[in-house]
Amino acid sequence: MIPVTVLTGFLGSGKTTLLARLLRHRDMGRTAIIVNEFGEVGIDHDLIATSDESFVQLSNGCLCCNVRSDLVLTLGELAARRDAGTVSAFERVVIETSGLADPAPILHALMTDPEVAARFALDGVVATVDALTGVRALECYGESLRQVALADCIVVTKTDLAPAAGVEQRVRSINPDIPVLHVVKGDIAPSILFASAARAARLPAAGSPAAAMYWSAEASHSGGIGSISIVRHRPVHAATLALFVSALADNCGPDLLRMKGIVAVVEEPERPAIIHGVQHVYHAPAWLARWPSADRRTRLVLIGRRMRTSWVQELLDLLDAEVADQLARCARPQAGNAAAATTRTLDGA
Amino acid sequence: MDDARIRAFILESLELWQVRASVDSADPPCVAVIRGDDGRTVWLERAHADSPFRWLARWHAGEASGQARTRPCGSLVGVLSALRMALGVDRGSPVRIAPAPEDA
Repeated sequence: MIPVTVLTGFLGSGKTTLLARLLRHRDMGRTAIIVNEFGEVGIDHDLIATSDESFVQLSNGCLCCNVRSDLVLTLGELAARRDAGTVSAFERVVIETSGLADPAPILHALMTDPEVAARFALDGVVATVDALTGVRALECYGESLRQVALADCIVVTKTDLAPAAGVEQRVRSINPDIPVLHVVKGDIAPSILFASAARAARLPAAGSPAAAMYWSAEASHSGGIGSISIVRHRPVHAATLALFVSALADNCGPDLLRMKGIVAVVEEPERPAIIHGVQHVYHAPAWLARWPSADRRTRLVLIGRRMRTSWVQELLDLLDAEVADQLARCARPQAGNAAAATTRTLDGA
Repeated sequence: MDDARIRAFILESLELWQVRASVDSADPPCVAVIRGDDGRTVWLERAHADSPFRWLARWHAGEASGQARTRPCGSLVGVLSALRMALGVDRGSPVRIAPAPEDA
């Protein structure tokens, strides 16, 4: 499987500068680049030096609006060219979205399109936010908010021009647990960037200040988008988890942008489940081999609009109570059947 | 799970959906009566213990037909879905499950 990193960020936030600098790094030699520009005439490709044909420019509109027809076809074509040996055997794909893109449809395509999912795996989302104008962009533009909300890693750019504290605080009020890197003129090693953005690998260590922030049961809000965190001490049944994500998708609709967490499951007490969702599209739970720390509580973070901590907590509690009751009901007839069988045996005797 | 807790949860669900409605208690087996400001009414009952379902939601499909609709629900997920249908709430999309990252 070829990992795909989505590089997003608002207009002028430094995506192309970051990508251009990354591409100078020798570790990026086996990376295919897909750049989406909003406009008829592409400019970004002139700013990005590439050494082979593993570079595709999409300039017929915003990628998030044409995601099926363009991104899916482009990835398929890249895979075919890789198989045929007409491009280098790239080991990673980086997709740079346009500054106005909503990353969600792109992530949905990467997660659910069968042809894409057969060859490519979403590795993470990097969002650039610049220290100079990032706070204002987050206040004024929903696209910027959504890019930060859906990110797995934030790169604060232009920290040589303005202090990063304000924008970092705002970013953390939207998406509290993710790594925030300060980068000047795109100067960062690809390995550090991709490792920071790898969504499957990242869980905050219990007891750390970051973990305390991540797992606090407080809601924070920024421009209508905020995050809530749920901590539950008792494990939930596996069936509850399926009902829970279904109910969230059904009832929160587009207000829920992102859900992620670690879940203690009754049926697998030694193996927590990791869940990731983007709007109504979820990865199947990934099971860790063991708990990463002594903290075995279920911890969930939901990012979106009008999210209610009390409703989400109660939904999870009520559904798990129903599932437990249903399992008890199912067990009862078996006991009854056993008793009836015993009676029949005795009658027969 | 007591009736008052179910009613409180339904009330908060209505607030989440931004629907103006009241939630009142009623005689068993009815757990809650939900009355929308637009006149729509839903009765939520516990299903009989022998039933494969846990809940029954009843409402009138429309003034013209006057036809009552009953939707059996296996869980509160179904109850919320029935309430959204009865009250005309357009919310989310059915959940889609993609392969887990390490499966991929």
